[in-house]
Amino acid sequence: MPEYHQYPSLAEFVSTFLPESWGWLAYVLAALVHVALLLVLALTVAAASNWFERKVSARMQDRLGPTRVGGRFGWLQSVADGIKLLTKEDLIPREADGLLFRLAPYLSFCASFSIYLALPFAGGAGGWVAQRLNIAVFFVLAVAGLEVFGVILAGYGSGSKWSLFGAMREAAQVVSYEVPLALAALIPVMVAGSMDLVRIGNLQKDGFWDWLIFHDPFTFLTFFVYLTCAVASVNRAPFDLPEAESELVAGFMTEYSGFRWSLFFMAEYASMFAVSVLAAILFFGGWNGPLPLAEWLGLTQSHGGLAAYAGNFLGMCNLLAKSYLGVIVMMWLRWTLPRLRIDQVMTVCLKYCIPVAAAMLLGAMVWCYALPGGLVRAVRPHPEAAARWGAPPVDQPPHPPAALAAGKGGR
Amino acid sequence: MQICWHSFFFLLVALVACWFALAVVVSSNIVRMALYLVGCLGAVAGLFFLAGADFLGGLQLMIYVGGTLVLLAFGVMLTSRSQFVSMKTGAAQWVLAVIVGGSLLAVLLQGAFSVARWAPPDALAGDRPPQSAPTAGALGLGLVGVRPDKLDQEQERLREGMAGYLLPFEVISVHLVVVLVGAAYLARARRRIAAATRPDGEPPGSST
Amino acid sequence: MVLERVDPELAEFDVHTDELLVNMGPQHPSTHGVLRLVLRTDGEVVKEVIPHIGYLHRCAEKIGENLAARQWIPYTDRMDYLAGMNMNLGWALTVEKLLGLEVPERARHLRVLIAELNRIASHLVAAGTYGLDLGSFTPFVHCFREREKILDLFERVCGARLTYSYITIGGVMADLPRGWLDECEAFLVSFEPVIDDLHALLTSNAILIHRTAGIGVLSPEMAVSYGCTGPVLRASGVNWDLRRDGEPWCTRTYVGYKFEVIAETDGRYPQDAPYPPVPSAVVLGDCWHRFYVRMLEVVQSVKLARQAMDYYRKSPPGVGEPLRLVQKLPKGEAYLETEAPKGQMGFMVVSDGTTVPWRARARSSSFCNLSVVSELCRGCLIADVPAIVGSLDIVLGEIDR
Repeated sequence: MPEYHQYPSLAEFVSTFLPESWGWLAYVLAALVHVALLLVLALTVAAASNWFERKVSARMQDRLGPTRVGGRFGWLQSVADGIKLLTKEDLIPREADGLLFRLAPYLSFCASFSIYLALPFAGGAGGWVAQRLNIAVFFVLAVAGLEVFGVILAGYGSGSKWSLFGAMREAAQVVSYEVPLALAALIPVMVAGSMDLVRIGNLQKDGFWDWLIFHDPFTFLTFFVYLTCAVASVNRAPFDLPEAESELVAGFMTEYSGFRWSLFFMAEYASMFAVSVLAAILFFGGWNGPLPLAEWLGLTQSHGGLAAYAGNFLGMCNLLAKSYLGVIVMMWLRWTLPRLRIDQVMTVCLKYCIPVAAAMLLGAMVWCYALPGGLVRAVRPHPEAAARWGAPPVDQPPHPPAALAAGKGGR
Repeated sequence: MQICWHSFFFLLVALVACWFALAVVVSSNIVRMALYLVGCLGAVAGLFFLAGADFLGGLQLMIYVGGTLVLLAFGVMLTSRSQFVSMKTGAAQWVLAVIVGGSLLAVLLQGAFSVARWAPPDALAGDRPPQSAPTAGALGLGLVGVRPDKLDQEQERLREGMAGYLLPFEVISVHLVVVLVGAAYLARARRRIAAATRPDGEPPGSST
Repeated sequence: MVLERVDPELAEFDVHTDELLVNMGPQHPSTHGVLRLVLRTDGEVVKEVIPHIGYLHRCAEKIGENLAARQWIPYTDRMDYLAGMNMNLGWALTVEKLLGLEVPERARHLRVLIAELNRIASHLVAAGTYGLDLGSFTPFVHCFREREKILDLFERVCGARLTYSYITIGGVMADLPRGWLDECEAFLVSFEPVIDDLHALLTSNAILIHRTAGIGVLSPEMAVSYGCTGPVLRASGVNWDLRRDGEPWCTRTYVGYKFEVIAETDGRYPQDAPYPPVPSAVVLGDCWHRFYVRMLEVVQSVKLARQAMDYYRKSPPGVGEPLRLVQKLPKGEAYLETEAPKGQMGFMVVSDGTTVPWRARARSSSFCNLSVVSELCRGCLIADVPAIVGSLDIVLGEIDR
């Protein structure tokens, strides 16, 4: 039985409060709580990112951004925009395929949101995660690739050549970039030895030198490949050709307005945040800070009770901050760089990202075999990593092979 | 009153899969057929997740839904002309389909109900929740040529074949490449040169 | 094994996709104005571009037959509305050529100063919108911020930000207000670092170079045969600028001014202010060179503006009398082309001896520049069409008049 089963699941916890005959309700309530929390996170991130993007882009362009709605900083602008979008006229073009046109935004958003089901936000108590999967990375990559359906259906269902072009390009781009993205995500998985995100996160717990990005030069370079592929797979500039306003008006989203458009929009921001969370866990230690403060302050799981909860909460805040930094970097890129053409996008993927990712995989593999435990750990070996890769344990000298010892003893 | 949520969700997802499969057959719009197929295979992935085979469910999503069906939808969307936007199936085809499909269904049902016990022996020993089902570790090792599950075999004879699936894996991959290249070669258009020059030396289409 | 006999009449092609007629505009974010481009494409590759113009036609030339010469100046403003002063200057010089009218020294230097400032403003719009077409949002705002400062200066001079009608037949409408020269100098000082920023954000940006290098290559022979002028012509390597090489009535405005004509001669651009070197991927006459020529011309315009300010300070007062409305124009005709920011803008006035011209004609530089777009776009991808059209820097007000 995996070790996280010692912690009761939310359903079990809720069922202790319910009378006997209402026991079945526990599962429903637990599921609702999980979904509500994740939905709140995804939507809040979308709304906050909208405001933040307008502020960041404004400052980069030497202007101010929203300053009126909600006081000096205009923080209620997102809310105002949301209300406006909700009350817009529901327009569907005559040539549009009704079912596909209506379905597409929901498909996009559901695919984007499903990624959050497997993402952990803290490492203690079996992981603060909606569903702990031991193939979490695989699941995230699989579900992230489903977003392209919403786009294809939107492009086709809009009944316009322009939208079709945009959808074609987007599908080609996202599907192509899944390959180097998966390769890049595979490298920290290989180093950590598990696809379970909670385990990967907990492995990096002793300060920033333990973070997988500093494990070896190959994982360091892999992060930049991952960043490029992540930006491409969420269709942000410089890879935002499907939404190229100046060329195709708005690509596959041309015919969408009001709430349907806002769903695409939220799906994009939710995806951005989700790939950032994944990057934070895989490369930057997840919920562990640069210095193991939680350990020093005694807020670890072994202390139990409120201290453990506080430690986990700090970890979650840590992870959210790191992911948001990733989102900010993506925004920074968008407002600085021009846009790549579709053939250039594909060239970058096929001629640069894939070979580099493959080379990094090879390099990381060789490094793990030759220097188990990583760059810093080669000097101070990590017991778990060393054992995983077959190096001798820390406190003992290397054992000579048995035959040699017997031979010497026999002589 | 107790609801077995596992059975509830299993029935729900299975119904969704059957519903979408039926919709693929019944629909007359080829693009919508592709969409319904997405729904059907997505529901099948859900069934895998419910059975505890997380890795298989993820594989289904990534490869079938996220790869094959994207390609299918792409092709259908780009090449659909107006006659395919509404496809009508003739009555004779319906009859044939019902006969073939019905007989297949009968065979499958007969096979399903004739198995005495569906559960693997050790799963009945304890009420093990689905999360702790076997992982893909053994499968991954098998793909690169090591079959650790064979070590647990009691019979000496069955321990043969420790080499794993690496060779078949490579053979299938090369086979796929050959098929793809062949398909691309076969699919290129061949046109008759529209008599580039007529026997009397006049280029076609010129009028006097 | 049976071998198939190869049929000599069978030709094998790659998978053939259908031709698509795609319509860009007239309402489109990246066509610079109300331009309708019909693209005939084979998949992503463009085979032909057919521009449809006339959406902004306002019968300016016909109206010119009913107005006195000086009354037509506001109509010239609205032709290339991004360089209204240069349009005014062109018409004013044309009518002055017909009349044989010389303007006072101060007016001449003012004309140069104002025209060069407007050239900077026009090139800023060109550069900013070009970046915007290619997806670079931030330099656009930086360019427009600098342009706002120029527009503020113009508002101080003549009261208008876009449609000036400042340069008039006989001189300029009014002298500079007090303190204007210091403000102008302050602007020029603050503007020079911004040029470096724009070089960093646009000219040297690897993605922009990728998007523009080798795209829309215009050979010098084709440029001359299609009548392309201005930065489009100079970017193909033809060293021709009317401010230096034009007819005397045009070059007399710039007598005494030192400036470089920005065109690649002997493989090098004129060495002036520090600027990024030409990357190896670009080809002479492609979109990048057209963009680059404009960026370098801005530096020359700053130089010219400073010289004009110096000359202005030394010139005797008196900016000329605007032509009286009842002044009869001598019988005859005059045609004069001047170097506007977008190319050679020609004006023709045919007079039959009355106050109202018998024919007032404007030869638009963007019209001829746009005519070459179908040749340039042959064989490029759809995403390159905005890049090419943007590099030609057209204004529909000028094309349609």
